[in-house]
Amino acid sequence: MVETVQSWEVPIAREDDIVLVRRKARALAQERGFDAFAAAALTTAASELARNVWVHAGGGKAIIEELTDGYRTGIRMTFVDEGPGITDVERVLQGGFSTARSLGLGVSGTRRLVEEFDLQTAPGRGTRVVIVKWTRF
Amino acid sequence: MRTLRTRLGFDQRELQSRRAFFDIQDEDLARLAELRELALKHMDDINEEFYTHLLSHPETKRFFPDDATIRRVKRLQREYFLGLFEGRCDLEYVENRLRVGAAHEQIGMSPRWYIGAYRKYLSQLLDRFTNELPVGEGRIGYDSVLKLIMFDMSLAIDAYIAANLETLGRHQAAIRELSTPVIKVQDRILLLPLIGAIDSQRAQQVMETVLLRVIEEKAKVMIIDIAGVPVVDTKVADHLMKTTAAMRLVGAQTILTGISAQVARTIIQLGVDISAMPTLARLQDGIELALSMLGQQITKAST
Repeated sequence: MVETVQSWEVPIAREDDIVLVRRKARALAQERGFDAFAAAALTTAASELARNVWVHAGGGKAIIEELTDGYRTGIRMTFVDEGPGITDVERVLQGGFSTARSLGLGVSGTRRLVEEFDLQTAPGRGTRVVIVKWTRF
Repeated sequence: MRTLRTRLGFDQRELQSRRAFFDIQDEDLARLAELRELALKHMDDINEEFYTHLLSHPETKRFFPDDATIRRVKRLQREYFLGLFEGRCDLEYVENRLRVGAAHEQIGMSPRWYIGAYRKYLSQLLDRFTNELPVGEGRIGYDSVLKLIMFDMSLAIDAYIAANLETLGRHQAAIRELSTPVIKVQDRILLLPLIGAIDSQRAQQVMETVLLRVIEEKAKVMIIDIAGVPVVDTKVADHLMKTTAAMRLVGAQTILTGISAQVARTIIQLGVDISAMPTLARLQDGIELALSMLGQQITKAST
């Protein structure tokens, strides 16, 4: 069974807050014994998703949780915003689609960086993305 | 020279709204003017008591290192004190109070001691008012002085915040300038070591600085070293590719160096294609590649 050990909430109200979210993710991953590749993957994923909250919704928050399943440590990050939501979820998940004139790989790429990925959104109803990364044995 | 008040945008309207919020009526000011006589009577003993208090605490004592300083601040304090009983609260008064706040910020006295010192002041005033005035009058008079002192405190805090923001702004400007140090490696080869987070403002500045320098130096190769960039996400990759494209427009090629194993793996997982520019792990390899692009090479000196 997966349990939450500790959790933190970081508001994303300014561009600088992306750095704070990312730092928190990196520090936690390093402290909890994630290897360098896993820590880089989680930090990058946090950076992508936090930036999405800021760019597309103008703000929101990140909830960072330390998890345990009794054997391994996990980090779950939840990104919540009340922005416009995503209309064409399939295309966004496929990649190469962008409304912000960028690479359009943020969401699809992030999905490959983590073990668990969940995206819930509806036009006008905001977006909620949950990612989880676990330590290796 | 612009006054502190105008720099803070404190105008007649702000004065009206703040006075309204602090409930400072003309009657309050008139009452305070009437209390001037009482204030004059107690000015010196209040002042002495006040500084005895400040000098008996190490946190505040350190701001008054010698007798000359103490004499000077006592004189200023008397002026401040009488200012409360002049029956005015106009823009000139505001300017004066802002300067008081700024002066305390300049000597490095943090707001907690400043506010704590006010507490002493208020307690002394309450004491004199209750002892020397009929009950109702003392209470009302104290309320008026409390309004004006709180108003003064709000101005002092404004001055503190403004000073801190100005310092922060200066530091940011300095850091921005330092954050794109374009180095000339050799004729026609430039190097930009990027360090720290790259936000949108910085990315834009990198692009502009690099373009200007490439044209200025007639450079053919621009090496961007990202060993000091903590995270390369799609946005950073996007900035790098846009910079590369801009470089190409002015006739220079970009080489990306300092890519760690973790960054390489992350970029691949993200699915970002940065094949538009040559990429290398080490800066040294980047410099060698740049030289070879220009038909040069590093050789050992023959003995």
